[in-house]
Amino acid sequence: MSSSARTSHKPRKRRGITYNGSVVEANGQRKPAFPLAAFLWPAKGLSLWFVLPSVLLTVALFRWATGLWTYSGYQAPPMHGDFEAQRHWMELTIHLPISQWYFYDLQWWGLDYPPLTAYHSWLLGKVGSLIEPSWFALDASRGLDDSLLKVYMRGTVLLSEYFIYIPAVVVFLRRISRLESVSSWESSIALVAILMQPSTLLIDHGHFQYNTVMLGFSLASLSSMIAGRLRWACVFFVAALGFKQMALFYAPAIFAYLLGSCISPKINLSRFISIALVTVLSFGLLFAPLLLGAIYDARRGITIKGATNPPLLSVLPPLNPKAWYFAPIFQLTQSIHRIFPFARGLFEDKVANVWCALHTFHKLHIYPQVLVQRAALAATTTAILPPLLILLHRPRKDLLPLATATTAWGFFLCAYQVHEKNILLPLLPMTMLLGGKGGLAAPVRTWVGFANVLGAWTLFPLLRRDGLAVPYAVLLPLWAWLLGLPPFSLSAYRKSERGHIGLLTKVVHLDVYSVMVAWHVLEALVPPPEGKPDLWVVVNVLVGAGGFGLCYLWCLGRLLVQGGYVAGVEEKRKEE
Amino acid sequence: MSDVHPSLAQCAVVATAFKLLLFPAYKSTDFEVHRNWLALTHSLPVREWYFEKTSEWTLDYPPFFAYFEWALSQLARHADPLMLQIQNLGYDSWQTVYFQRLTVILSEVVLFYSLHKYVQNSSQKHTAQVAAIAVFLSPGLLIIDHIHFQYNGAMYGLLILSLVYSQKQSTLLLSGLLFAVLLCFKHIYLYLAPAYFVYLLRAYCLRSMFSIRFANCVKLGFGLAVIFGAAFGPFVAWGQMPQLLSRLFPFSRGLCHAYWAPNVWAIYSFADRILIYLAPYLKLPVNQAALNSVTRGLVGDTSFAVLPEISPRLTFVLTILTQLPALIKLFVHPSPSTFISTLTLTAYSSFLFGWHVHEKAILLIILPFTLIALRDRRHLAAFEPVAVAGHVSLFPLLFTAQEWFGKVAYTLLWLLVFGAAFDAVAPPSTHQRRHLFDRFTVMYTAVAGPLVLYCSLVHGLVFRERLEFLPLMFTSAYSALGVVGSWIGLLVVFFED
Repeated sequence: MSSSARTSHKPRKRRGITYNGSVVEANGQRKPAFPLAAFLWPAKGLSLWFVLPSVLLTVALFRWATGLWTYSGYQAPPMHGDFEAQRHWMELTIHLPISQWYFYDLQWWGLDYPPLTAYHSWLLGKVGSLIEPSWFALDASRGLDDSLLKVYMRGTVLLSEYFIYIPAVVVFLRRISRLESVSSWESSIALVAILMQPSTLLIDHGHFQYNTVMLGFSLASLSSMIAGRLRWACVFFVAALGFKQMALFYAPAIFAYLLGSCISPKINLSRFISIALVTVLSFGLLFAPLLLGAIYDARRGITIKGATNPPLLSVLPPLNPKAWYFAPIFQLTQSIHRIFPFARGLFEDKVANVWCALHTFHKLHIYPQVLVQRAALAATTTAILPPLLILLHRPRKDLLPLATATTAWGFFLCAYQVHEKNILLPLLPMTMLLGGKGGLAAPVRTWVGFANVLGAWTLFPLLRRDGLAVPYAVLLPLWAWLLGLPPFSLSAYRKSERGHIGLLTKVVHLDVYSVMVAWHVLEALVPPPEGKPDLWVVVNVLVGAGGFGLCYLWCLGRLLVQGGYVAGVEEKRKEE
Repeated sequence: MSDVHPSLAQCAVVATAFKLLLFPAYKSTDFEVHRNWLALTHSLPVREWYFEKTSEWTLDYPPFFAYFEWALSQLARHADPLMLQIQNLGYDSWQTVYFQRLTVILSEVVLFYSLHKYVQNSSQKHTAQVAAIAVFLSPGLLIIDHIHFQYNGAMYGLLILSLVYSQKQSTLLLSGLLFAVLLCFKHIYLYLAPAYFVYLLRAYCLRSMFSIRFANCVKLGFGLAVIFGAAFGPFVAWGQMPQLLSRLFPFSRGLCHAYWAPNVWAIYSFADRILIYLAPYLKLPVNQAALNSVTRGLVGDTSFAVLPEISPRLTFVLTILTQLPALIKLFVHPSPSTFISTLTLTAYSSFLFGWHVHEKAILLIILPFTLIALRDRRHLAAFEPVAVAGHVSLFPLLFTAQEWFGKVAYTLLWLLVFGAAFDAVAPPSTHQRRHLFDRFTVMYTAVAGPLVLYCSLVHGLVFRERLEFLPLMFTSAYSALGVVGSWIGLLVVFFED
């Protein structure tokens, strides 16, 4: 910096000289460091207008091909699965008055996502009904598995992703690459790596869900913050929360950054007020159709059949059921009750987090539920406090992806009621690190790769149940191979001048990779012993929880280094 | 010279991953055809192979392919023995699907090896590698082999290997014998036989125009005798040749195959169709009996309402006549590069004028042409229309809604990526370029998008079930125009040199 201050004219940095980790030099020749870089090698210097369509077509083809396979609950009566849930929501939203959406038959996949999902379902149901009304006939269409319906539903996932998630990823990468001066070529490599992420692909296009919509809105919120548009960040984040409540994993980090930017470096009250206003307004807008619809339906005399009072309503002072405000409040409390069913258990199925791991050795249902809930709250708070304090103290744009990742890991590991599919949440901001400075160099690539491979691996029991073992066995190794990771390549772990990888990291990573491979071999060949039918799944969960814990620690450690709280390994070496 | 990235092997890895994901995709009756062949070669003595007719999909490939099926059936036993029962018509357990799809993917090793050899032996490594990758990732092979279901990858692998060997005097014999082997696998390659015949005759058996190399003749003759003997010998001994030939060459079929291969006869049918409406004004007689048959379009044979009927003999004569000029040039200048051009032109003639041509035979043109398209910009300009037309003409093979996106997106991606790559590496020509032809290419390509959109979406919305032959007819007439255009383009380039 000092040298540039001395000279008035600073020559502009030539592009393509400082690489972001995707190029290695050997014998005076530049070579791609991993296969994905080789694939984009011819794209060097090409316009984004050519590269982007090719990339988007390629990843769309892999999505389409994954979608050829079965989905969750395919021909699995009586309840089917997530595919049926989403289809059912389209069915009920287009046929029922809006005031009944959150009251209709809870037992058959009752609507338990926030309103934006309901509106999205309504739109898709309307369009789908134009094509074939029988797909969404009220009640009669339950459990339908028509092959054309599958094509339609898969198409809606793809389109939703291409409208929300993919623009969000592209914009995020553009912003972060400008912020951290990464070349557009290497940004494109990161783009492919992110869009080929096996877990997201397998869950949304295989298992069947619309996670990418929520992830896309969250990412749009992050990139708005990087662009300095804090009010837009609020709008997008409310949209994310309004689509899927799981975006709460990110909420503390987003809140801390926004609050931090209002108090640091100096207190900015007007910014705070505008952010608060926009957030409240966005929430208002999100719930407006539902609440206005409730008022309208109440005035039309449409009563809600078989509705019991939502528990939240009893907390409030007694209300007059005849008053105009009763219907919207009733509606609001019911939707919140549906969206946050606290009565459910600590974790669902087997999920690789702290509680499920603990449960293996020490049964947790002997404790009263309230105690366990409090323990989960305390543990989560402890886990997410460090990144939040950092963001409050130094609300820097470059810390955002890491802090969000750390917070999401904290939630995934310690929170109450976590699904195995929630792994997508911590994986998203962590994988976005590939687009940042040094993101494709060995130190970051190995960890991002490790988290993604481990994440997809913990999804295997779920995916196999859905009949997706083959797509899993294709997409996960493909991704690992593209990024030059074990078991295909150890090059990232070899000593090189760029980026140092500690011995501990090497040992842990390579051990976990070998365990994952060995697990697949054992699981396929050795039946679990009698009396322990879940042995392999339990092993999967334990290894996963341990590995994710390390990912949390790595993100936290890197955040401390990048935030300037601790000297990093590389700085230390330079000092020496 | 630095390496070219990505390598052929890297592309093969990604392509293979993608193909594995296509296991549950639509599969045509060809899947059942091949399952039936697995079953019958496994269950019956060789003597009965060409007589077995439990399934309507009787064995109609030459014996080497039958032997290949027999070898596969030895492995199939371990996947699912039930697929090997002749009576099990239409059997498609997941093991059967996985097994058969996997054998297609694995048999592409042949194609990979040939392309690898092609790059190795070529003087322009960079362009050769681009062409090799384009062939390996060909949308035609993906649609026909990995969705529709056939084993073209392996077959074209043999052809390309033979072409690689044809480029050196020392391996000419090998090239010829390999082609003979290929013929004994799949007789569709007979379309290319005239070029091989002339080239081997001139470059291998003759020293100059009029002096014969006897030793070479003996070697070639002996080699061919061994190969054809191994394939057909047993059937000759059993006196089954008439039966075998009637299976291989079912001449009772019509002029146009079910989906109207985009050739001259497609344009002819299209013209006939239009003349039906114009006939009253032009005072032409209309054959009323043919009217219904033409509208079907989907059924095997077509007959014409206004234009004169076409006989198999006429198609044969036209095919040979249009091949002759190129073959004469090859005979006069038997250079390796002239050979591949002539071979491509031979394929064009057979495809454009042949009797009952399959739309899949377009690969006979596209794949050899890909190998010479990068010679210079004139070749590339001639190649582009057939690259578009050939692949668009394959779209009707996959008519299911689920596969629509895949076929269109994959082809579009291939055209986009290799359009740019070819453009970047094709060297400029020493001859003057013909701007007229370039314009044709641009305009032609521009029509493809709206056409595909009309055929797959608009037509269905406007007409529902009615006039379903119309999209097919548009597709093949459009594609035929492109194939004919690129044929003329290649002819011009060929005789210019």
